[in-house]
Amino acid sequence: MMRITKKFAGAAAFCAVASLTLAACGGGGDGGTAQEPSEDNKPEQLTVAAWMDFPQELLDAFEEEHGIEVVVNSFPDGAAAQTVLRNGLSADGAGLSDVHLVELDWWTEMMAIPEDWVELPEIPDRWVDWKVTQGSVDGRITGYGTDIGPLGIAFNQNMTTAAGVATDPESLGEFVGGDDATWQSFLDAGREYVAANDNYFIDSLTNAFQAAINLLPAAFEDPESGLPYDLAENAEVKELFMMFADAAEDGVSAGIAIGHADWGAGFQNEQWATVVTPAWMTGIIAENADGIDGWRIASTFPDGGGNWGGSFFAVPATGENTEWAVTLADYLTSPDAAIDWFNTTGQFPSQLDAMESPEISEAENEFYGGQRVGQIYGELAAAAGDSAAGGFRGENFAGIQTLVTDGIRLVESGGATPEEAWASVVADFEALGFETAG
Amino acid sequence: MGWGQRLSRWDIKVSPYLYISPFFILFAIFGAFPLLFNVVVALHDWHRRAGMGDYVGLDNFTWVLQQPLFWRSLENTFSIFLWGGIPQLVLALLIAAVLDQNLRARTFWRMSVLVPFVVMPVATSMIFGQVFGQFGLLVPNLQDLGLLTHVESPFFQDRLLSHAAIGSMVVFRWTGYNSLILLAAMQAVPRELYEASTVDGASRVRQFFSVTIPSIRPTMIFVILTMTIGGLQIFDEVRMFDGGGTGGGKGGADNQWTTVVLYLYNLGFGDWQDRLGQAAAVGWIFAAVIAVFSLVNFLLTRSISSSSARTTRVSKAQRAAAIAKARAVAADSERRAREAGVATLLGRTTPYDDQRAPDDGGPSDDGGPSDDRGPSDDGDVAQPDAPKEGAHR
Repeated sequence: MMRITKKFAGAAAFCAVASLTLAACGGGGDGGTAQEPSEDNKPEQLTVAAWMDFPQELLDAFEEEHGIEVVVNSFPDGAAAQTVLRNGLSADGAGLSDVHLVELDWWTEMMAIPEDWVELPEIPDRWVDWKVTQGSVDGRITGYGTDIGPLGIAFNQNMTTAAGVATDPESLGEFVGGDDATWQSFLDAGREYVAANDNYFIDSLTNAFQAAINLLPAAFEDPESGLPYDLAENAEVKELFMMFADAAEDGVSAGIAIGHADWGAGFQNEQWATVVTPAWMTGIIAENADGIDGWRIASTFPDGGGNWGGSFFAVPATGENTEWAVTLADYLTSPDAAIDWFNTTGQFPSQLDAMESPEISEAENEFYGGQRVGQIYGELAAAAGDSAAGGFRGENFAGIQTLVTDGIRLVESGGATPEEAWASVVADFEALGFETAG
Repeated sequence: MGWGQRLSRWDIKVSPYLYISPFFILFAIFGAFPLLFNVVVALHDWHRRAGMGDYVGLDNFTWVLQQPLFWRSLENTFSIFLWGGIPQLVLALLIAAVLDQNLRARTFWRMSVLVPFVVMPVATSMIFGQVFGQFGLLVPNLQDLGLLTHVESPFFQDRLLSHAAIGSMVVFRWTGYNSLILLAAMQAVPRELYEASTVDGASRVRQFFSVTIPSIRPTMIFVILTMTIGGLQIFDEVRMFDGGGTGGGKGGADNQWTTVVLYLYNLGFGDWQDRLGQAAAVGWIFAAVIAVFSLVNFLLTRSISSSSARTTRVSKAQRAAAIAKARAVAADSERRAREAGVATLLGRTTPYDDQRAPDDGGPSDDGGPSDDRGPSDDGDVAQPDAPKEGAHR
């Protein structure tokens, strides 16, 4: 029996190791189009990974219609959901949900291997065109758009009134440059504001900087080859960097962006008067500035407007219920669902029918003093037009953007002059040893 | 041989291995295998989704060594280690010494110091991040006192101050744990040493430095080694220091508080770099650094605590014991020499036992053989009468 036991132990150990390895080797998606959903392959449950609140009635209605319970795997923020998705894709689907919410900022990374994702059937005329383009890889649709992030400026009316620069959304629009506002005029207004006040004009310039970067047709990479440009030679980016870094050096911003531990406290302590605010952030500001009166949305935005983020529902090909998962993704991005979502979190729809719906344009937001926030963002989105889609984003866009944005943060923190910060960004870029385009 | 007998023989031979096998099986799967696998990863071009690429030899290692950020993170790691380690050790020693006294409700105090250890590091980090934040407990008060002129929290900007803040989390979390380990060692120090030194008039402070510290040397070495290994691998605290949300968790805009492990994580699993091969190389390089540093620490600790035992003046009880021992040795060799017939060479005409030199004032009862002419640190040679006495006889 001793021998048997030894063998048994060996076999057990082998199985344990082998099962780990096999699980890692097994699976593997075939991509392609999903089968038709039918009663035969109907699951009892579908899982959705996301980080925003779901309107409960939306989930209930789906269960009533199809008899499938929808379980939301909820994450505290996009970054957490991104990590799980990234690891799941690397591990052939381990730990993934049936449907995943994917943010535009990391869409390219997740779509690096398009076969990881189920190709979704086309749904004509549901979305603005550029949202569909963003959600496609090599002509295959792999993500159904949820929201877009038209940019506006949220500001604390009480603070700007006390400072004597603006008493309402219209006058704030004038203060930052009116209809012809540019980032330069916005930053100059910021200098004027901080010269006469103890607090800051804006929470952080990093988001404003990213909005400006986003408008460049090809900020960091060559659309032909996909290779990064040599950052040291990138005059467009350097010019923008210097413009924002100079303002940062002048103390226009508090240097605390969304996600920073002090961001919520900054609202409560009335440390900044404005925030660059995509539609989906309106709800987050309302939470963080809870109890502070006077926040409003101005319908003016520098350089004609912009877009930050917005998400897609996508279906990993490794899932067991891809047929029904596609049905769910379709359902969750319907115009009606988008309206429910607008009412829950404030995110602005990418769906044409929803954008035009009076339920969105006429809804009055209590936190923003009864403003029709949906209408304001509709106008901002219309003003931004297709340019909101942004320029070319290659494989390394997000990374280089982080690197350059860190340079702005460095100046904001008082750790370097703009010139020093740029030199440090270029040095960091060069240390990575990219093969660069021409 | 009967079945039952055979069974019990197997039981004796096999069972012990079965009982200890869970650890070894788990270690093989979760410890040894990843460790060895890491070698393979470090030698290849490796990406998260694409998996194994080409064999690149040591290219990953040279790439890492050329990264300024790697060296910067190494500096940060050691700086944070010092900020966290030194106060931690000093405080742990003091707390342990206090707990070693006859306190009321002893168990309560001993358990209390362990409370911070129960708190998750991430929670600790988020709370401390708030404390050191611009609107936290500390910064506004320092501003009110006029110690800070800037509105921003310097703890998220200045490199050394951020290290101090992170070091304070380490101190908060680990001091209690280490003081319990040190306390256990202190409990094992023979009480006679304290009693004897009290009789000899040593103060509490003197006892602490001359009796306690030398006696717990092996435990000190253990504590310092585990502290070194754990402290250098710091990750949770630095990752969560600035909240870790969007744009955070990278160790600051200028990587002021990026540690090596955080650098490794960002390289391999971070938002965009996706360089698993290089990250694995960082792991190996850092493992080597820790091994060397631990060895240096070990040697340093050993020499410091033993040289301190030599240089600090020994207690009277210890001295008496040393004197007695030395005399016994001297007496023994003298006797042998005499027996060999060379007694005259030593200038001794009478049995040494009979010699009784007058003591210079101190209590002469030191428990040793009654001859004061043995080699003691008082130095008999310095006594003017000693040679006379010998000559007289």
